[in-house]
Amino acid sequence: MAFTNPQIQTEDLPNVEDVVLKPISKSYLKIIALNGLAFYSLILGALFGLKYLIKEAPFQNNFWYLFFGVLGLCIFSFIMSILAFKKRKYAVRGYDVIYAKGLIVHSVVTVPISRIQHVEESRSWLARHFGLSTLKIFTAGEAGSDLSIRGLQHLEAKSINDFISSQVDGNK
Amino acid sequence: METNDFSQPIRQSTKGIIVIFAFNLVKFVKKFFVLFIAFGVSVFRNKSVGNITPTMVLLALIGVLIIILIIAILKYLNFKFHISKDDFHLATGIINKDNTIIPKSKIQNVYIKQNFLQQIIDVVSVKIETAGDKKSEIEISALDKPTALLLKKKLFKKAQIDTQAIEDAEQVNEPEVFFKVTPKRLLLEGLSQNHFKSFLLIFGFAFGLYSEFKDFLVELELENHIEGLVELDETAILNLIITNVIIVIGVVIVSFLFSVVKTFIINFNLEVVEHQKTIEINKGLFNKVSLSLTPSRIQNLVITTNRLKQYFGLHTLAVKQAMVNVKQQKNFNIVALEKAQLNYLVDKLLSNYVEDKSNVAKPRPYFMRISALEMFIFGVIINALAWAIFGMEMLWINAVFLPLAVLYVYIAYKKAYYIISEDFVTIGSGVIDTTTNILEIHKIQSVKLKQTIFQRPKAIASVVISTASKSVTIPYVQKSEAISIYNFLLYKVESQDRDWM
Repeated sequence: MAFTNPQIQTEDLPNVEDVVLKPISKSYLKIIALNGLAFYSLILGALFGLKYLIKEAPFQNNFWYLFFGVLGLCIFSFIMSILAFKKRKYAVRGYDVIYAKGLIVHSVVTVPISRIQHVEESRSWLARHFGLSTLKIFTAGEAGSDLSIRGLQHLEAKSINDFISSQVDGNK
Repeated sequence: METNDFSQPIRQSTKGIIVIFAFNLVKFVKKFFVLFIAFGVSVFRNKSVGNITPTMVLLALIGVLIIILIIAILKYLNFKFHISKDDFHLATGIINKDNTIIPKSKIQNVYIKQNFLQQIIDVVSVKIETAGDKKSEIEISALDKPTALLLKKKLFKKAQIDTQAIEDAEQVNEPEVFFKVTPKRLLLEGLSQNHFKSFLLIFGFAFGLYSEFKDFLVELELENHIEGLVELDETAILNLIITNVIIVIGVVIVSFLFSVVKTFIINFNLEVVEHQKTIEINKGLFNKVSLSLTPSRIQNLVITTNRLKQYFGLHTLAVKQAMVNVKQQKNFNIVALEKAQLNYLVDKLLSNYVEDKSNVAKPRPYFMRISALEMFIFGVIINALAWAIFGMEMLWINAVFLPLAVLYVYIAYKKAYYIISEDFVTIGSGVIDTTTNILEIHKIQSVKLKQTIFQRPKAIASVVISTASKSVTIPYVQKSEAISIYNFLLYKVESQDRDWM
């Protein structure tokens, strides 16, 4: 075999920007909303609980300011998480898996399939109701380089899982 | 034992009983320490608590000791290991029998350690680490040194054969001591360390003490303040300055001593031995350790130095391997290396590494904005603290703080750079320290592009590169540049079918 060592033009390399990222399932928005509502109502409930526990004047007098402050924060973070939903996207290429997320801090993580140690598909109780699952991809790296793609259609997750598993096994 | 080839199950050295005993005793005392104190004190004070006399306590204590000793002996008797053709076998357990088998090829590392007790009774412990989770670590706590070395050799040699050429086994070069630290260099190393951390720690402590008993002094002075303004300004301020200066000097000396002693204890007799393919590090005063570094297992190299150290020619090389727990990671530091020695080691650990100066690229000046912002927040906190504790006058610290902050931002930017070459990524950073991070591209585990909402309009992004042991960031580059780095790294990883370990 003749050995060739052609120069690589960086422009010719496969570009992540050209990849059409798929949005995750719309139903996951419901899960985000439900989780969010449960969490915020817990916080607000705890606040009301404090109102009955703490009888001191400064707290009682300013209670409603505090309440609306917290409520405002909750609404803000709720809107943010709804908006950020659109940013949750993923793609599987022949040699890697890409996952993008985040509104305020947007990140695009790519894990080469050859570096994947194992894949796991997990479904919470709520997710099962909506026919969704989470795909967890583990690498050998620190916790930082593991991926977990939430809110995939169950079948989709399964097929990606199978694809990656076969690739990972094939490499060995 | 001399001709042992470990093919038959053997026990550790008999002294192992002592080590296991001591180990279990420490564990026991640690667990019940509080209980001991509380109970013991109350018994001895009242002479008896509910019919329990000091003698009974003493007897109970002796009983516990005997039980621990018996457990230690049983543990020792039930601890057997041997090496078969490709595997290391270990049988443990008194009641629950555990049988662990580790394939030699999966052994990550073999450490030889010796703590204070082990030094006294002249045994070493051998620790075998695999790439799995922490639970699968094996420690044989008492072997005499020749046996341990032989075991290590057996485990390591065979483990490498399937990955490397068999010729290694034939040509056994005498390993040579490549580098041995002198006490003088260790002293310099200790002195020239970045003292900021230990300084802040000790300063905080000293300051706490000082302000405690300073409180009423200040009150006294405040009364004087109202009576005679002129008188106070001269003497009180002078006094204040003198006490402050004395405190600061004291703290500086203590933190220097602290660093020097720490450096000496950890790196005592540091020795780098060069083998055919691997490098061995031996060091430690109370805890002697001996570790081997295999180039293929190394994920990141971090070189640290600072202005002062550069002047003395002191460089620290930290080697990050995959899956090594945090406590062990610290042991992979080689301190007080000369520049030439450093280059030699880097060359040995990473073949063909060249620091390609022509390819140096820098982050965008946006970098400075972020550091400036950090400094601003830090400044606000300092000001708030100073104002809250000392009142308005203390705001003069800004006169010191501002130039330092500006210097910080400037130096941080000046020192930040990155080089992406054919096979390596080199990232430089640091403010007081100069840190150089090197990693091999084929060892990358994942690549991440990060951009905050504020960076979007300016088209700036960061690239985070993770290996199995560490994540490094190329901060704040042009988005297009970041994308092309991203693409290039992925291309490199995915197109060459090279193993990361």
